[in-house]
Amino acid sequence: MADGILPGLLKGMATTARSLTRHAHTAEYPDVSPALPSRSRGVIALTEENCTSCMLCARECPDWCIYIDSHKEEVPPSTPGGRARQRNVLDRFAIDFSLCMYCGICIEVCPFDALHWSPEFEYAELDIRDLLHEKDRLGAWMATVPPPVALDPGSAEPAEVAAAAKPARGAGGAGGSASAAARPARVRPARADAPTPAVTPESSTETTEPPAKAPEAPAAPEAPAAASVPETKRLPVIREPSDQTQVLPTTDPREPE
Amino acid sequence: MTETTAASSRERQALTVGVGAGGLATADMVLNIGPQHPATHGVLRLQILVDGERIVSAEPIIGYMHRGAEKLFEVRDYRQILVLANRHDWLSAFSNELGVVLGVEQMLGMEVPERAVWARTALAEINRVLSHLMFLGSYPLELGAITPVFHAFREREELQAVMEEVSGGRMHYMFNRVGGLKEDLPAGWMGRVDKAIANVRARMPDLERLIVGNEILEGRTRGVGVLPRERAMAYGVSGPIARASGLDVDLRRDAPYLAYGELFGEKGPGRVVTRTAGDCLARLEVLIEQTHVALDLAEACLDRLVQLPPGPINVKLPKVLKVPEGEIYCATENPLGFNGYYLVSRGEKTPWRLKLRSASFNNVSVLSEMLPGQLIADMVAILGSMFFVVGDVDK
Repeated sequence: MADGILPGLLKGMATTARSLTRHAHTAEYPDVSPALPSRSRGVIALTEENCTSCMLCARECPDWCIYIDSHKEEVPPSTPGGRARQRNVLDRFAIDFSLCMYCGICIEVCPFDALHWSPEFEYAELDIRDLLHEKDRLGAWMATVPPPVALDPGSAEPAEVAAAAKPARGAGGAGGSASAAARPARVRPARADAPTPAVTPESSTETTEPPAKAPEAPAAPEAPAAASVPETKRLPVIREPSDQTQVLPTTDPREPE
Repeated sequence: MTETTAASSRERQALTVGVGAGGLATADMVLNIGPQHPATHGVLRLQILVDGERIVSAEPIIGYMHRGAEKLFEVRDYRQILVLANRHDWLSAFSNELGVVLGVEQMLGMEVPERAVWARTALAEINRVLSHLMFLGSYPLELGAITPVFHAFREREELQAVMEEVSGGRMHYMFNRVGGLKEDLPAGWMGRVDKAIANVRARMPDLERLIVGNEILEGRTRGVGVLPRERAMAYGVSGPIARASGLDVDLRRDAPYLAYGELFGEKGPGRVVTRTAGDCLARLEVLIEQTHVALDLAEACLDRLVQLPPGPINVKLPKVLKVPEGEIYCATENPLGFNGYYLVSRGEKTPWRLKLRSASFNNVSVLSEMLPGQLIADMVAILGSMFFVVGDVDK
């Protein structure tokens, strides 16, 4: 390279000439569709069956572009003599993509995984009103939703995996691990209608014990998982702010203090 | 303004020879550049008073893109604010989000996991390269050189691909959350970023050969639009423009946030790029060199990220996040300069006030001092070298 000798103009022209010999970097878009990563935020898909019309997404949306209509229906009792229940039936679920800012908060807050990102982006319209996708159209996008990507090996265990690996509630006593012995299992009044997980005989007696034996220190629900994965699973402590009226709940507020 | 106008017009009268109306008495003419004009980016309107070809006075008229972001912040919670906050300077969305979350985290006294700190630093530096490359392409375009923008955009595409892979967005990443990042990094992502950085670094000389040392470009920029150091300070100019005028200030080194304390420390790859000339060429040179520094920093962050022990990338937040009563000013070094958020909280889940100090606003306001006395043809060169985003001016 004779960069030092060539004046600037020639140097630039030489660069351009060299680029001529290389392949063009242009993507032939309409003919060749781009390979988009699975996190790409193209369009929002809806699994209607998962939606309970709880309205969380519509309320959290920063520009209120989600419209939900629902009504309550009475479900006849499944057993004779039982109580009739009410459930929400979704009448309308629409997202106005002319307003949507593609932030993904609705997908993040959905507690039942009814909303998903799809990388599809080819839904431009000639009329802005057609950008209002009703639930059938939102449901059609579900077919294009890619599976979530695998995470970096340095990442923490996903919450679902950690929850699945966690021994069943109360089984820690049976396991006899040191930390479980130090921090006794949480005592909760047994609920009749709650489906009881597979419990060992010892643990079932423990949970039905009167709350007089309540533990002094509240055990975090993650306690067994934290014991199995030391150090890395521990969440950073939120220091208490100076103003005592604004104490952040660092644990589940329903926990006994 | 009128006094200086009259004074400078008397002063400049003798200089208008040779532009066609030498001996003739000329009347001052008001010329509007913008809001819709091919020489401006976006909707900045410059009202200039010209005497022949010479600018007598200039006034940037702003607000055509005012979206009331600060008022909208007040009725949104801290996650919703991020959606809006990353939009004012659309070329540095990640850095814009960063200021909000850092401020909120400081108010809460929240400790962010180390992985999140280094990942944020890496992403902020990639974002800086993206922003700088945009101006490295668009500025020569304004001066008439069409080729560099293709090279710049090719490199941008390389980095945008990795940003899209991690965040899902190409411009408005929406990847910061109070307490860390939205999701963890995808498997193999760090290797792809390393490769992208290596590719960009390998091809940067192509772009530089088109710009640096080009006689035409130097002719248009050397000695043009000199911004003296004192004036830069007086107007609160920051970022690459201030550093090109010899103002050695960079928040990454002077008030370290994230992992910058270590990166700009002893033996760290970080260094502050400065020039003393203060002209358009110096501003462009700062931008080119800063791009290299930002690539080094991003690479150092990735090297560190690989070595870190496995761990979470965010903090579990309560359902309703309320920031304790108080106030804080949190500034970050954005690609274009200081970007500060003054957050006043009354203990609600929304801020009581969130004042935004954006870099471009100050950088553009100094134009009224820089343009008088210059030729109209140089105006485009000066305007382009101020590296601003209109959304960042108008908020």
